[in-house]
Amino acid sequence: MSIGSTGSVLVPSMPRPAAAAPAAWRRPVGLVRLAVLAALAVLALTTPGFLSEPSMLALMTTVSFIGCVAVGMTLITISGNIMSFSLGALVGATAMIFIVAVNFGGVVFGFVAALAFGALVNAAQGLVIGLVRANPIIVSIAATALITGVAEAFAEHGTIYVAAGTSYGIFRGKVAGVPIEFLVLLGAAAVGQFILVCTHFGRNIYMLGASFAAAEIVGIRTWRTVTGVYLWAGLFAAFAGVLLAVRYDAASMTYGAGYEYDAVAAVLVGGTAIKGGEGSVTRTLVGAIVIAMVQVVLLLQGFRPEWQYLIAGLIVLAMVMLQSPGVRE
Amino acid sequence: MRRLGSILSNDSHARPFVILIGCVALLAIADWGRGEVFTIATAVTTLETFGTIGLVALGLGLTMMIREFDISVVGMFSMAGCIAVLTGHNPWIGLACATGIGLAAGLVQGLIIVRLRLGSIGVTLGGLLVFAGVAYVVSENRTIAYDNIQVALAMGNRIAGVFSIRSLTAIAIFILAALVIGMTRIGRDVIATGNDRRGAMTAGVNVHALIVGIFGFSGMMAALSGALLSFSLASASPSGLSDVIVPAAAAAILGGVSLAGGTGRPLGIAAGVLTLGVIHAGLNAIGVPPYVDEVTMGAILLLVGIADGPYPLRRLRQTARALKQPT
Repeated sequence: MSIGSTGSVLVPSMPRPAAAAPAAWRRPVGLVRLAVLAALAVLALTTPGFLSEPSMLALMTTVSFIGCVAVGMTLITISGNIMSFSLGALVGATAMIFIVAVNFGGVVFGFVAALAFGALVNAAQGLVIGLVRANPIIVSIAATALITGVAEAFAEHGTIYVAAGTSYGIFRGKVAGVPIEFLVLLGAAAVGQFILVCTHFGRNIYMLGASFAAAEIVGIRTWRTVTGVYLWAGLFAAFAGVLLAVRYDAASMTYGAGYEYDAVAAVLVGGTAIKGGEGSVTRTLVGAIVIAMVQVVLLLQGFRPEWQYLIAGLIVLAMVMLQSPGVRE
Repeated sequence: MRRLGSILSNDSHARPFVILIGCVALLAIADWGRGEVFTIATAVTTLETFGTIGLVALGLGLTMMIREFDISVVGMFSMAGCIAVLTGHNPWIGLACATGIGLAAGLVQGLIIVRLRLGSIGVTLGGLLVFAGVAYVVSENRTIAYDNIQVALAMGNRIAGVFSIRSLTAIAIFILAALVIGMTRIGRDVIATGNDRRGAMTAGVNVHALIVGIFGFSGMMAALSGALLSFSLASASPSGLSDVIVPAAAAAILGGVSLAGGTGRPLGIAAGVLTLGVIHAGLNAIGVPPYVDEVTMGAILLLVGIADGPYPLRRLRQTARALKQPT
C-alpha cells in the first residue's frame, strides 16, 4: 500500500544500532510530558478567574464538541490511517441533517437520522480505504470537498434553523452542575475505550496500525476493520454535530470548521502515535482537556484569540517531533 | 482506438496529455461551434486556474514523486498570502518575504523529517497548523486589504490576450522544472529515491539533501502562488484559501504522479493542472453554481485516488468478490 496506510513514509529504515535506543529516548519524553502538565496546571490555577464557574463551563462545553470528534479520530489514527480531514465537514453536515430531520419527523427521528448519516458517510470512506486500498489522506480530502459541495447545494442560505416549538431543551441542561454535552463526551470516550481494550475489533485496530502486512497474514479481514473504524469515527463525529445543533437551535457548515485539526491535535497531544498501532482514547481525552485549558488560560491572560491557533500548532509540531523513533545515528 | 487504450493503461507519461486532449475535445463537442463554451474567456479562466494551483501541484507532486506528502501547502498558501499583503507595499519586498519564509519553512520541515526520521505527513501536519496559526496571528483573524492597488491592477492585465503575470510565472517555473528534472541528474535522483530509497542511497544518491531540497521547493512554490493570488485579489485572509489542496492533489495524480512514488514528470503535472482548469472553466462557461465545481473536484480526486496505485482493475475485482462473500 502506498503512503498513509503504513502510517508514514519513513526515511529509509536503516539498521538501528541497538534496540535500546528508542527506550532511552522515550524516558525523557515522559518526564517532559509530566513537567509540561504540571507547569500547565500551576499556570491555570494561578490564572485569576480560571476556576470560576463560567470559565469551567466554557471549558467543558468546548472540550465536549471537539472531544467527540477526537474520540473517533483516535480510532482512525491508531488503525494506521493517520487522520481524516473530512470529520469537521461531517460534523457540520450531521448538524444540518439533524435539524432537517427534527423539523420533518420529530426529535427521535432527528437523532437516528443524524447518527446514521454520520456513521454511513464515514463508513463509505472506510470501504474505499479498506477495500479498494485508496490512500486515506486523499480519500478524506476528496470527501471533504464532496460533503461541503453537496451541503452547499442543499442549503443555499448557509444556516438552517429548527422549527419553533420543538422541545429538546433538556439536552441543554446540566446534571449536578455538569453540562450534558460533557456527559455525552464521557460516554463516547467510554465506548471508544471499551472498543479498543475489550473487543476483538479493538485488538484488530491496534494490529492493523502496528503492521498492516502482519494483520493480513494472520488472517484479519482488514477491510472490515478499517470500515468499522471509520463507521465508529463517523458516529462519534455525528454526536458532536447533534450536540452543536441542539445547543444553537441551528446548523451550518461553519459549525464543524477546523474540528478535524483540533481533534487530531488532541489525539497527538495525548501521546497517541501518528504512525498508528499505539495510543488510547483516555489519552486523547487528556489531550483535548490540555488544549482547551491552554486556550482558556490564553484568553484569561489577555491574549487575542488567534494566538490559540498558533500555540496549538506549535504543540502539535512538538508532539510529532517527540515521537521520533530515535536519534539518528 | 486500441492504441489509445494501451496508451491510457500503459504509458504513464503520455496518459496526462491524452486525458487533457480528451477534455478539450469534449469541451469543443459541448460547444458545437456556437462559441459559448469554447471561447477566449474559457482559455483565460483555464490559465488563471493554472496560475493558482499549478505551482502548488508542482511542489506537492514533487514530494509525492519521492514518496512523501507535503500537506502543509494548505497553511503555507494562506500564510504567504497574508505576509505578502502585509509587507508588500513594494511588491518585490512582499514577494521576497513570502517566498523566503516559504522556502525556509519548507527546508525546516525537510530537515525535521530527515534528522528525526519522521513520517512526512505527521511533520507537515504540524507545519500546516503552525502556518495557519501564523496566518491568523499576523492578520488578526480578519481579511486584510492590499494597499498597493497598482499591483493588483497589473496582475489583472492580459498579456497577449490570454496570459497574465501569474500564469506566465507558473509556465516559466514549470518549463524550468521540466528542464531540471528531465536533463539533469536531479531528475533521475528523484525517480530513484521514489522507487527504492535504500537502493538510491546505495547507488550514491544524497537522499537526505534531496528530501530537504524538495520540501524547501514545495514550501516556496506554495508561498509564491499564495502571494501572487493575494496580490491579484488585493486582499488576503487566513481562512479563505484552503481549497487549493483538492485540485492540487488531483492534478498531480492526474498528471501521472503516484502516491507510491517514483513516477511523474513536471510536464505531466502541468497537463493534469490544465485538465482541471479546462473542466473548471467549462463548468463556469455553462453557468453552473459554484458547488457543482466543488463536488466535481472532490469526485475527480476520489476517482484518481482510487485509480492510483498498483493494479486498480484487479483491486476492484477483488472488491466485488469480497462484497459477494457472505461471511
